[in-house]
Amino acid sequence: MATSTLKNVRFAGMATCVPKHVIHNVNDVPPHLRSERERLVRNIGIETRRVCPDWQCFSDLAYDAADKLLNDLQWSRDEVDALIVVTQSPDYLVPATAIILQDRLGLAHSTIAFDVNLGCSSYPFALQIMGSMIASGAIKKGLILLGDRSSYKHKDPLKDPLFSDAGTATALEYKEGAPPMYFDLNSDGSGYKAIIVPVGGHRNPFQLEHGIARKGDDGFWRSDLDLILDGPAVISFSTQRVPPMVEKLLGYANIAKDEIDYFIFHQANRMINETIRKKLGLPEDKVPSTLREFGNTSGASLPVTVTVRLRDQLAAGKQRLLLCGFGVGLSWGGAIVDVEDAIFPQLIIS
Amino acid sequence: MDNIDTFIEKFITAVDFQEAVEITPDTILKDLPEWDSLAALGVIVLSDMEYGKTITGEHLKQVSTVNDLYQLLN
Repeated sequence: MATSTLKNVRFAGMATCVPKHVIHNVNDVPPHLRSERERLVRNIGIETRRVCPDWQCFSDLAYDAADKLLNDLQWSRDEVDALIVVTQSPDYLVPATAIILQDRLGLAHSTIAFDVNLGCSSYPFALQIMGSMIASGAIKKGLILLGDRSSYKHKDPLKDPLFSDAGTATALEYKEGAPPMYFDLNSDGSGYKAIIVPVGGHRNPFQLEHGIARKGDDGFWRSDLDLILDGPAVISFSTQRVPPMVEKLLGYANIAKDEIDYFIFHQANRMINETIRKKLGLPEDKVPSTLREFGNTSGASLPVTVTVRLRDQLAAGKQRLLLCGFGVGLSWGGAIVDVEDAIFPQLIIS
Repeated sequence: MDNIDTFIEKFITAVDFQEAVEITPDTILKDLPEWDSLAALGVIVLSDMEYGKTITGEHLKQVSTVNDLYQLLN
């Protein structure tokens, strides 16, 4: 059951929060590294990134996004029936961050709250999970808090040119006759090593020596606590799996490409995103990008892009969006969602 | 399939060399100043988009010269 349809679920609003601190991928590195960095930036398309200071967690950004969205929606706190946090940067390994945020946001004890561990692919999955609870009639209003503090794994923020931090909030509600949402969601765990933090879970518990950095074949210093990303495997996966999934989803929904107003893809890097766009034959103006200023914010890159690039268009009238996430897992999925009269606060900088 | 000279032109664009380099079919990939992970991504995309062929990081580790790469995509 990769494809599915949800009825009577309305997209009510979305808010996005990023940290204040900006790192420039070229200007902030030592002068002797700049020419190499310029080549990198040309190809990955990421000039600046937003990075949390030590004290700031993903949940702090998500809290600000949720607080603003609830206020702008004029939803009272005890109306929220479910709170789902979707992140790979929880406050603690135990307990779930969603439950901490239930209290922090002042939501009722009757709120269903739990975490979902998904990264770059997460946005369509999160809509499907919350949407299913709403479509079943079990709950009326739900809040998805989604994002990551992806930059924390690298103590030297200059070493990693890709990752950036963001927290987002999305509100869904029950509405009889709301336009259907269509989904296609997929998983392939055989590729689990392509993007992995190998130490710190129960398979390889943390020991002191894991914290010691060693120099790799590529000249960079890494410890076992750092994220390992197999670039060739990720680019092959993304460019081979995503375009056919989008075609399949459109076929399932019986919607033509020109009936989609905007295609919002996970912002991975320019090479991956451009290859996907060209394979699908999509014009640049229908595929908004925030890579240059906001980098790769994991699953939050979809809400970041909608908030930063599409607020005016969404305020002007109904838009049909195709939202597509792909990455760590390996996991990939898409959702077609009609958005009308929803609340989109301006980007929050915290 | 392109002839090897055309392939070399596309290869140079895909790797995005910072300074001009002279490349022949016998050039050894590892000796190139920018034969790094970014170059690998560029070549994987080139292979897919221009030649309709899916190659992996493992394929790239197994080839030695520019001509070997050309043959792999042929």
